[in-house]
Formats: sequence, structure tokens, C-alpha cells
Amino acid sequence: MDCKNIEQHIVDYIDRQLASEEAKQVEQHIETCDDCKVLYDETNLLFSAFKNVEEVTPSDKLREGFYKLLEEEKQLLDTKVVQLPKESKEFPWKYAFQVAASIVFVFAGYFFGSHTTRQDTNQEISALQKETIELREGMMLAMIENQSPSKRIQAVSFTESFVKPDVKILEALIERMQYDGNINVRLAAAEALSEFPESAIVKEAFIEALTTQKDPSLQIAIIQFLVNIQEKRAIAPMQQLLEHSDTPDFIKEQVNSGISQII
Amino acid sequence: MLDVSRGNLDAMAHIFERYNKRLFNFYFQMIRDKDVCEDMTQTVFYKVMRYRTSYKGGQFVSWIFKIARNVFSDHYQKSKKTINNADLELVAQKNEESKIEKNDNVAHLHQVLKILNKEEKELIILNRFQGIKYDKLAEIVGSSEGAVKVKVHRIIKKLKTVYFETI
Repeated sequence: MDCKNIEQHIVDYIDRQLASEEAKQVEQHIETCDDCKVLYDETNLLFSAFKNVEEVTPSDKLREGFYKLLEEEKQLLDTKVVQLPKESKEFPWKYAFQVAASIVFVFAGYFFGSHTTRQDTNQEISALQKETIELREGMMLAMIENQSPSKRIQAVSFTESFVKPDVKILEALIERMQYDGNINVRLAAAEALSEFPESAIVKEAFIEALTTQKDPSLQIAIIQFLVNIQEKRAIAPMQQLLEHSDTPDFIKEQVNSGISQII
Repeated sequence: MLDVSRGNLDAMAHIFERYNKRLFNFYFQMIRDKDVCEDMTQTVFYKVMRYRTSYKGGQFVSWIFKIARNVFSDHYQKSKKTINNADLELVAQKNEESKIEKNDNVAHLHQVLKILNKEEKELIILNRFQGIKYDKLAEIVGSSEGAVKVKVHRIIKKLKTVYFETI
């Protein structure tokens, strides 16, 4: 080891931080090298000065202050410690009951409300439906007398939405079918009337129309309806049609096939 | 200390008895004003109590001195701003020096310590007066053991030259 190395190790040597072998080397070197001996002595002197510095004792003020602080902190902690477990140990019955009650109230309110409103709305809806049907019937009856054929057709088509139309309506439709000046209105009326095959007056009106109506397309519509409802009373007027010289051939064919279906 | 961090504040008293003198002396070597040093020591223990939950085991000495260093930095910053305070410190230092004059080489040492800057002074005080080993010292100042050792040796060398030049 040269002097430079020794210098680096002197502090550790004094601190007894060196491995025994290194410590021995430093020791031997110091004994032989005067420069390093001086270095060692000086360091030692400096360190002894450090050691000679007396520890200063702080005044009692520090201790008093600390214990006061400690007490304050303890009280803070105590209040925390005492309060918290109390809350966590006991099951919060009161709170739970409040929650349960509020849930019950909410559901009860919901069911009660929906029950009453359902009744109300059902009544309201049926009243409204009735009203609209009445309105439509009135409108239809008013429009069916209109001068414009298209308006009359529109009025006829209103009857499609009626499930059980009034007798007045059916009579108005039959009138249209029989006596309307416009073939299209008569056809539309016949089509509308064919939706109500159960009605007796409708059946009679069709049987009557079979003899009175001369328009082929209307005749075909009437024959189809009567065949569909298997009306036996229609056979006699049909045979009349066959015998009639005015009847076109294709109507006769239609009548023939119709009669065979009814029988 | 782990006891304390778990809420046993009585253990705090042990810590105080064990460290108050040490911390106070650390501060007293740094600035020779008893009142300020007592205040700072008090602050350290207050902080230890307050932030006890942040102690997660490990070297307690390192932990408490880390706090002590922070407290000192705070004080240092503050006193730097107010020149008045600095003057007072100087006066206090002089008073202390005259008292210690009896012990010559100790007084001389204090004189020599003044040439060091704040960090150097801190290191040498922790290492030589407080006897804190390099590994713990590294923990306190947030550095590596090797770096701290080199620094301390350099400071000792510096001190030595000044110390024996002016004797």
C-alpha cells in the first residue's frame, strides 16, 4: 500500500471499519512512514476534538412541551377510538328500519298509483273510443249524401273500421248500393256491405240487388257475396238472370258456377 | 415505533426519552441557539406523532433524522428570508463561543466547522457527533453509501487542513 491508499483508509482505520488484514497493513505503514504518521495523528486529534464536544442538555421546557403535546394527541386518538367501535359493533336497526320503510312506501305508492290510474285510463279510453266511433258514424252519414262521388266513396270506406255498425249505417250503405248514380260508389258500397254477412238486412238487400242491378261488375260482386254466404234464397233470382236475354254470357257462367256451389 | 404507528401513543414517550437529547444536540451543532433548537426538536416529535402512520418499518434512526433534516431546512429557509433572525443567531453564536472558550480545541473545532456549507456540516455532524454509520447516513440524505463515504472523507480532509493551519 502506498501513501495515497493509506490516506483513504486512515479514517476507516480509526473508526475500526477495516478488515483485520487491511488494518494490519495500515498499522505497519504508519509505523514506517512519517508523513502518514502525521496524517494519522492529525485525524486522531480532530476526532478527539469531536469527542470532546460535550452533549448539551435541552431545558425542561422541551420535555414539558412534548408531554403536553402527547396528551393532546392521546385525547384526539381516544375520542376517535371510543366513538368508532360503538358505531360499528351495533347493527344499525334504526337505519335499516328507515330504509325498509321507505322501500315499502315506494312500492305501495307505485302499486296504488298504477291501480287507480289503470282504472281511470281504461274508462277514459273506452269513452274516447265510443266517442270516435259515434263521430265517425255521424261523419259517414253526413258525407254519404255528398254530391261528389269521391266523397261518397270515402264515406263508404269509413265503415271498414266499424265492427258492429248501426242499422242506420247499414241502411245508408244499402241505399248507396242500390240507388247511387255512380257505379263506383255502388261497387264500394257493395264491397263494404260484404264485410257484414251476418246481418239479415244486408242479405235481403243483396238478393234484391241481384234482380235490380244491371251493371255486370256489380252483379259479379253480388253473386260472389251470395255464393260465399251460401244463401239458398238467391237461387231463384239467379235462375231468373240465366233466363233473361239481356244478361251477358260471362255473367251467366258466373251464375252457373255460383248455383252449383250453393247447391 | 411500529407500536406508535399502530396507535400506541405511550410508546411515543420512550422515543422521546431516547432521541430528544440527540436531536437537540444535532441542531445545536448546526446552529448554536438553544431556543431555536428546542423549538425544532419539539417540531420533530410533533411530526413523528402526526405522521406516525407513514412509518413502515425500517431504520427508525434514519426515519427520525430524515424528519429532523426537513425541519431544519424549513427553519433555514425561513431564517434566510428574515435578516433580523440571522443577526440574532450570530449574536447567540458569539455568546456561546465565549462560554466554551475554556475548552480550547472544542472552540477551535466549532470555528473550523463554520467554513463548511450547510450540507457538509450536516453530514459531518451526523457522522462524527451522532455516530451515524454511512449506510444509515445514506438513507437519511437519500444517497448511496459509497457516495456518502467519499463525501465525509473529503470533508474530514478539508476540516483537517483548516484545523491545523489555524491552530
